[in-house]
Amino acid sequence: MDYTISTIAPIVLFPFFAFAINAFLARKATKVAVFISCAAIALSSVWAIRIFKDFIFGNYATDHYVHKVFTWFDLNGAGLEFNVDMGIYIDNMTAIMLLMVTVVATLIHIFSTYYMKDDMNYGRNGRFFTYMSLFTSAMLGLVLSDNLFSVFIFWELMGFCSYSLIGHYYEKEKAGDANVKAFMTTRVGDVFFLLGILAIWTNIGSASFVDIYASIADGSFASHTALGIPLATFAGLAIFMGTIGKSAQFPLQVWLPDAMNGPTPCSALIHAATMVAGGVYLSLRIYPILDLGGLTTLVAYIGGITAFGAATIALIQTDFKAVLAYSTISQLGYMVLGVGVGSYNAAFMHLITHAIFKACLFLSAGSVIHSLHDHHTHEHVQEMPRMGGLRHKMKFTWFAMWCCTLAIAGIPFFSGFVSKDRILGDALIMALENKAMIVPALLGFGGALLTAFYMCRMMFLAFHGEPRDKDLYDHTHEEKFSWNRNLPLLILAVFTLGVWFSGSLTGQKLLKVASPEGKLEWFSTLVAKPEVSKFTSYKREAWGTVDTREAVQVAPSHYDPDHGMTEEEAHHVHHVHHIGAIVSIIIAFSGVFIAFMMYIKKSWNPGWWVTTFSGWYRALQNKYYMDDLYIKGVIGKGLLPLNNFLAWLDMGIYDRYIVDGWAKVNRGFFTFAKWFDDLWVDTVMVDGTGASVRLFNVILRTLQSGKIQFYFIMIIVVLAGYILAL
Amino acid sequence: MSGTSNLLNWILWMPMLGALGVLLIPKAKENAIRFWALANTAITMVLTAKLWMGFDNSIAGMQEAFTVKIPWIKQFNIFYHLGVDGISLPMILLTSVILFICILSSWTVKKQIKGYFALILFLQSTIYGVFFSLDFFLFYVYWEVMLIPMFFLIGIWGGENREYAAVKFFLYTFFGSILMLVGMVALYHATGKGVDSFDLLALKASADEFIKMKVSLFGTEVAFDKLFFMFMFIGFAIKVPVFPFHTWLPHAHVQAPTAISVILAGVLLKMGTYGFLRIAFPIFPGAAVYFSNFIAILGLINIIYGAFCAMAQTDVKKLIAYSSVSHMGFVMIGMAAMTSQGLNGAVLQMFNHGTSAAMMFLLIGILYERSHHRWIVRPDGSKGFGGLYTQLPVFSIVFIIGMFAAMGLPGLSGFISEALIFFGIYQKFTTMTVLALLGLLIGAAYLLWMFKRMFFGDVVEECKSYTDMNAREIFYMMPLCVAVILFGIWPSPILDIMKASVNSLVTLLANYQ
Repeated sequence: MDYTISTIAPIVLFPFFAFAINAFLARKATKVAVFISCAAIALSSVWAIRIFKDFIFGNYATDHYVHKVFTWFDLNGAGLEFNVDMGIYIDNMTAIMLLMVTVVATLIHIFSTYYMKDDMNYGRNGRFFTYMSLFTSAMLGLVLSDNLFSVFIFWELMGFCSYSLIGHYYEKEKAGDANVKAFMTTRVGDVFFLLGILAIWTNIGSASFVDIYASIADGSFASHTALGIPLATFAGLAIFMGTIGKSAQFPLQVWLPDAMNGPTPCSALIHAATMVAGGVYLSLRIYPILDLGGLTTLVAYIGGITAFGAATIALIQTDFKAVLAYSTISQLGYMVLGVGVGSYNAAFMHLITHAIFKACLFLSAGSVIHSLHDHHTHEHVQEMPRMGGLRHKMKFTWFAMWCCTLAIAGIPFFSGFVSKDRILGDALIMALENKAMIVPALLGFGGALLTAFYMCRMMFLAFHGEPRDKDLYDHTHEEKFSWNRNLPLLILAVFTLGVWFSGSLTGQKLLKVASPEGKLEWFSTLVAKPEVSKFTSYKREAWGTVDTREAVQVAPSHYDPDHGMTEEEAHHVHHVHHIGAIVSIIIAFSGVFIAFMMYIKKSWNPGWWVTTFSGWYRALQNKYYMDDLYIKGVIGKGLLPLNNFLAWLDMGIYDRYIVDGWAKVNRGFFTFAKWFDDLWVDTVMVDGTGASVRLFNVILRTLQSGKIQFYFIMIIVVLAGYILAL
Repeated sequence: MSGTSNLLNWILWMPMLGALGVLLIPKAKENAIRFWALANTAITMVLTAKLWMGFDNSIAGMQEAFTVKIPWIKQFNIFYHLGVDGISLPMILLTSVILFICILSSWTVKKQIKGYFALILFLQSTIYGVFFSLDFFLFYVYWEVMLIPMFFLIGIWGGENREYAAVKFFLYTFFGSILMLVGMVALYHATGKGVDSFDLLALKASADEFIKMKVSLFGTEVAFDKLFFMFMFIGFAIKVPVFPFHTWLPHAHVQAPTAISVILAGVLLKMGTYGFLRIAFPIFPGAAVYFSNFIAILGLINIIYGAFCAMAQTDVKKLIAYSSVSHMGFVMIGMAAMTSQGLNGAVLQMFNHGTSAAMMFLLIGILYERSHHRWIVRPDGSKGFGGLYTQLPVFSIVFIIGMFAAMGLPGLSGFISEALIFFGIYQKFTTMTVLALLGLLIGAAYLLWMFKRMFFGDVVEECKSYTDMNAREIFYMMPLCVAVILFGIWPSPILDIMKASVNSLVTLLANYQ
């Protein structure tokens, strides 16, 4: 396969065109729209499989990549230049991501044809698929992006799709609240993300990953500052804020549980398997910046706090989907913890394994909820206290869900164990080297215990024991195998086995089934931290040129189980990893055991915990009061009163008195002028002139009486006056 | 020195001919009046398209082929001088499309149709006059004459408080115009009343002389260019409107009939920023650079203050009016950065805001025709609208497109201009960029919150009688929908027009930094 823009673009364009076509079909020809969406994503999968085959099974090395660029638009003219480039960047990580996204999305699309079939408003499931197509297209675009700016574009588009799908049931007020909350919370992170992009683009002249790596390698990245802070720290933190928002990390995790208001398949795709993972994917891509900026400790803390904190909240949830929502936040916390402790490979592996088992969990949850129909309220039931014993009714779902539960709980032989254990092992190594890292490591191990517990609790409550709502149970239909309901679940369940990722059953080479060269350890071999020094000689390829990778191809790396460490170091690392593995196995089984004692044997009473730690319990019920802090505090007490005050100031004071006050001042002036004019000018001066003339007239008229005697008297008087004066 | 084409004359006078034609049609033939006006704007649109076709993107200055220059008042060296360049063409395109749409959206106007359409066409002609004028005096005449149709359109066809709004609009703008007039006269005297005393291009060429000049103001020596830049600034700032001259806008928008709100937000506000780019910046580049921080701060205040005020509004039209204040702040701060990205972004934002704001006002107009009120929340606290998504599905989709375009969602037009502006301002005003990003956040908040309150939840009883958009409404919304999506994915057609002209302005200003 030639890697050019035109051969790669279809992977993004198939679902995009499906969206564009369905935008017109969704309301009128729903079935056609559904078909187009499914077909488009299936075609993308074919493309993704080809790329995966080339990169993973082909003769490729750890460090092989394909990078193609074209100019989206430019501001060149009159001697000035500015190009906005877009491009694709494919390395092993991209190839794995593409395969995961397309395959999981395809399975979720198939499941959705079952789940959304009888959505109450007929045209509406066409709308659902339309947005799902746009979403998938945006996610694939993000994965293929070669630069931060296009990541941001697709990132925001996914935010929009997420907004629309959470608001799918728009007749519900709650859906409206939830989607605004989701969009705005992630937007807080996005705004910082954009700031980070601005800082990098302005300083190094490009936002491309390749250019960023190159400039880190030649030291120029470290020489820049932004607002007096080293660029790596400033931009790294700003972009990581984007991850915090999108991947629902502390303190912006509040949106994800509410996002469960959307239809369950969209929760599976967007709020578990892909979009939220996009944030982690981004932080892996910018890992060299985080490392250079000295932010890894902060990242590890954020991840640790999220992993543990969300797990504690999950302990007390009674809503089926809420448990899964908090488990998602918690697992994303593990990935971020992995990034923070430098466990690049394992963090990415956890992203992939989690995407698979979490998609399966949500689809299974959809399968359960869809079957539980309360015929009094005509609503689907999500509350676990009303479930119980469902394993008799739905065997396939039960089986698939247990596979995923064991995976997420970190039970050996399952995928979650392979990836999570490596993260925890690396956290342990970091903790031994650096005291500051002890806390995140402990939070990670603690979270693992809680995870095993609450997931098994959920399974026991829903599927085991006696049915607690007999009426509901009796009305639930027996699950019959159907291709669009059960096949996606079972396919995903198969991939919850660890062997697909580790090449060995435990990932610790204890029970290796792979060939001696470790070729089946493909995941750890082919995904590695970007070595920035390799990018210094990089030269951009122009739009549409045929790939010249032969020229830059590096000989396939020999599998190195020690990852370039000396024998002694490697020994130490393996030693610590073994301890970590043993500890996490013990922890996972303890979690399962406690859940078993509480909910199956019923020897331990969960109520005791509730009454003994009632303060904690209340805090957990209120999600540590963070929703209250944001909504009632920051928005209710801060933002809204400020808005109202400013609006009042603007119209009530400024416009009314200052602006219109001019009119009053003028009116005062006019009144004065009128008065002055009337009295002084008109009455006194104008009319006064007339009056004085008239007075003069009267005097003259009196004088000029025409009587000769009077004139004589006047003459005599005047003469007398003269004489007297002389 | 006239060019080879008379196209600018045709575009300028075609609506005027249309207005005269309307006056000749008997009052009773209402449909004839409507179709006449529609045909007239359609012809103008075709002429504008022809102008676009003949436009040479590579020329940074005026397009000589289209220039028209005829002596008008010889004694004062006043010319009838028209021209077009990369900064005015996007505005011309916008005007033609918006006016065509406005005629269609005015189909339902009942009152004195003849006068209404005649005035709108008259208004269109004066708008072209402002964008085409290369003679300051001519510019000023069009700038002033435009107030007359606007005054009557708001004052006669407006809402319940229309007279107040019309008078306020008129006086406020007029106040600014007077300052501009003083500036213009000062320039006339400064150039020695020579041949090109009012010629904008000649004035631009003698910018260096203005920098050296001093004027005596109340006994103190003041730099000529700084003083008269401020005069021009106030004149144009009122039109934009820049804080603190913005309060006429919510009144005018709320009271104006739909089409006039659309023209106001879509085109007239851009005349203010156009004035900066055509007159204030090129003629007083030194002063523009000197005051750039000040302009940027005002722009920043516009962005944030406008957004905060918008969020508090309970009248949806007022909310959008304040959002215009906020979005025009982006244009101001982008211009103040005086970088290639900032200025190109600002001009693009003028165009993009023209389309997205027009969409929002048209949609609110469509809704108002059904509801006869605009309360998101009524003064008594009850919901004005609710469940519109269920009731009006097509309307909702179009509303979402317009709203997200205004919000700057990637893939829609507003994003590219805002992103360019941010790139532009980061280089100059890093701290202000951080604050301006807050505007981006609040900008999303007030729109989404409004949308949530109006469109989600159960259908409010009185909304149940509303009908969805009809064919005419869908037809006139389509061009705008296409524009915001097309220029969001592929901004080059508009950027290619402007970039040479804008970049030459950037280079000019860079000499005075």
